[in-house]
Amino acid sequence: MIPEIGHILLILTFVASILQVLFWCFNIKKSDDITINVLIKSTFINFVFILFSFGILVYSFIISDFSLVIVSDNSHTLKPLIYKISGTWGNHEGSLMLWILILSFFTFLVSRKKHQIPYKLLSSIIGIQTIILCLFLSFILFTSNPFERLNVLPIDGNGLNPLLQDPGLALHPPLLYFGYVGLSVSFSFAVGALITGEINKEWARQMRPWITIAWSALTIGIALGSWWAYYELGWGGWWFWDPVENASFMPWLIATALLHSVRILEVRFILINWTILLSILGFSFSLLGTFIVRSGLLTSVHAFASDPSRGLFILIILGIATGGPLILYATKTSLFKEDKSQFNIISKESALLINNLFLTTAAATVLIGTLYPLFLDAFNGNKISIGPAYYNATFAPIMAPVILLMAIAPFLSWGIKKPNKIAKKLIFLSVITFLGGLGLFMIDESSLFSIICGSLAIWLLTGVIVDLTFQIKATNLRLNSFKAIFLYFSKNNLGVHIAHMGVAVFLVGVTGEQFYKTEFNIKKNVGDIINVGNKSLIFDKVETLPGPNYKSETATFTLLKNKKIIDVLKPEKRFYPIEKSQTTEAAILSDFWGDTYLVLGDGNKETGWSIRVYFNPLISWIWGGAGFMALGGLVSILQSRKSRKKLKNAI
Amino acid sequence: MNPKYRRLIIIVFITLTLGLATKLILMALEENIIYFFTPNEIKVKYGNKQDIQKKIRVGGLVLENSVIKKDGTTKFNITDRSHQIEVLFDGPLPDLFREGQGIVVEGMFQNNKLIASQVLAKHDENYMPPEVADALIKNGVWQGEKK
Repeated sequence: MIPEIGHILLILTFVASILQVLFWCFNIKKSDDITINVLIKSTFINFVFILFSFGILVYSFIISDFSLVIVSDNSHTLKPLIYKISGTWGNHEGSLMLWILILSFFTFLVSRKKHQIPYKLLSSIIGIQTIILCLFLSFILFTSNPFERLNVLPIDGNGLNPLLQDPGLALHPPLLYFGYVGLSVSFSFAVGALITGEINKEWARQMRPWITIAWSALTIGIALGSWWAYYELGWGGWWFWDPVENASFMPWLIATALLHSVRILEVRFILINWTILLSILGFSFSLLGTFIVRSGLLTSVHAFASDPSRGLFILIILGIATGGPLILYATKTSLFKEDKSQFNIISKESALLINNLFLTTAAATVLIGTLYPLFLDAFNGNKISIGPAYYNATFAPIMAPVILLMAIAPFLSWGIKKPNKIAKKLIFLSVITFLGGLGLFMIDESSLFSIICGSLAIWLLTGVIVDLTFQIKATNLRLNSFKAIFLYFSKNNLGVHIAHMGVAVFLVGVTGEQFYKTEFNIKKNVGDIINVGNKSLIFDKVETLPGPNYKSETATFTLLKNKKIIDVLKPEKRFYPIEKSQTTEAAILSDFWGDTYLVLGDGNKETGWSIRVYFNPLISWIWGGAGFMALGGLVSILQSRKSRKKLKNAI
Repeated sequence: MNPKYRRLIIIVFITLTLGLATKLILMALEENIIYFFTPNEIKVKYGNKQDIQKKIRVGGLVLENSVIKKDGTTKFNITDRSHQIEVLFDGPLPDLFREGQGIVVEGMFQNNKLIASQVLAKHDENYMPPEVADALIKNGVWQGEKK
């Protein structure tokens, strides 16, 4: 009975949202209090209904209601509670429920901005968001009903794919979807501007926090996915340029470009059309990502069983959501008049503009690499795959100038009003980078790319530090207390600096992992010692241990450095009897300078075990860097909120 | 600066970037494409496997009773139920590697054996790589749901 309520709630929301869209269409020109209040209230009702419906689904998973198809397919009574809950979105139907829940949540949040956003724009934003909601609700109701019942009640469920029973992956989809769906808000802002024909600096200012929050969530979501792949798959790598990874990375690149172009628009009131186009593309790429993951058209190392007919439906949604706005874009953009008075080649806006161009080009290379195999297959039936080598040859050289400019852009000022005094900073920056590069050359002169990559990291890191110190010096401020430092930073664009520093930290990690790692396979038995440099691993024992819903074969290694015991590593192989599958749990010892990563392969007492050993220098900096990027985003949102409040108080 | 001049600079810059990017992409595509074959296609196209000097991907099922593990090296046959190829791999196998499972092997031929650099099996035991599924359908041995 309870699941039926969930289903009925979904149907009601579907009907209500269609009525809401119709209401909006008939009142598109109106901007009175009554119209806007009807739209806001119905948005709230949609959100509450979907929340309840989703809650019912989660509840069905918690109580293991195996009369539901998706519960019996993806859950089991013996599964730990957290994975029963995360199992809700660990499957196709449930993940779509999460999608619409986040979508209606974002729509609800925007609708509360009645006092900041002009009524005409707000009603359009709600209208567009509700159309997207309608499309996805019909997708769920017609092709992927999560509340479908089984005729015969099974005794127990099939369990969740053991690889998904993991805390990193329990959080990965919600954050990723938060990012994907968050981009729908800027999409609706853009389409709203096209419909109302009105755009101004305030529009950009209202839109920017939404992009920032989506971007931050996307950053963390992607990083979590990469981290999960690193420790769970036991391949030692963190990024494989796999279609599914690219699917989330393309919207990220576009969102990064958008984040900067909307800032230019906010300050200088130029690049209106470009910003609108990016807003539309950002969400289109999110939908494309959903399509790639859900359709199963592309071979992916992370692929799960999927259904092509559902892919077609998403393709239709993608067509409507991209085609419609682009037609509107083509007909309406001539309406917008930019501020064309001043333009200086050496200014912040031109640096940001060039980076925008590079970022979108980079996104295009990823898109081509991802979709080219599909085209070739359709064109002449040749099946191909495109691996990391392609991306190293295209994506990396395009991103190098982005990093170069990223360090300099914060030095520059907007427009042409102030002369740019950047010579001193540039000299400082170049000298330090040169010395750093020289140092890298001394460590390993053979690899040119490691020197380039490492130097770029040093360049960016130094750029951030130089900019901050020069700013502090220029203000003659005595930053001797925590409060003074805090006040100082809250006045300046601290968020930008944190995020840029995140990119630098990330690059340091990439340099270490890509160019200085060691990996090898070895066959060893209990009692043997593996020596690598000043480190040695002693193979102590292998034992069979029981887990909550699996059996584990656990090996124990003692890690010594300079003959001193550092720690004990326990790589495992787990066997899940319910799912009848086995997973490898790598043992990872992480510290600031790098990871020791051990994988236990097949073997037995007679022949020994095959063991894979990795030393990955600086690899945790990769995810740390992503963390800093997201933190930078959050800080900049808080800053703009705070400055707005101050502005209000001042008035 | 006058708007016309500004627009010109922007257009020239965009053209240059896109031109450069296109050049890079085309070069990279030419060099880094890895072709996918089924064992049967290899037999038909290249009777002698030595003729394939490039890294390729081969998809199929792990032939039953063909897996031999010795000293960390795994030897097995990959089949599309009409032809089979011997594969050698000296790395840790993916967890879902087992006999009868659909997999994709990446590597180069040496002495008529495929020396694998990577063995890909998916995260999901019911999952079949689309290329492998197509090949099985072609040979009429597809047992899963109709595509």
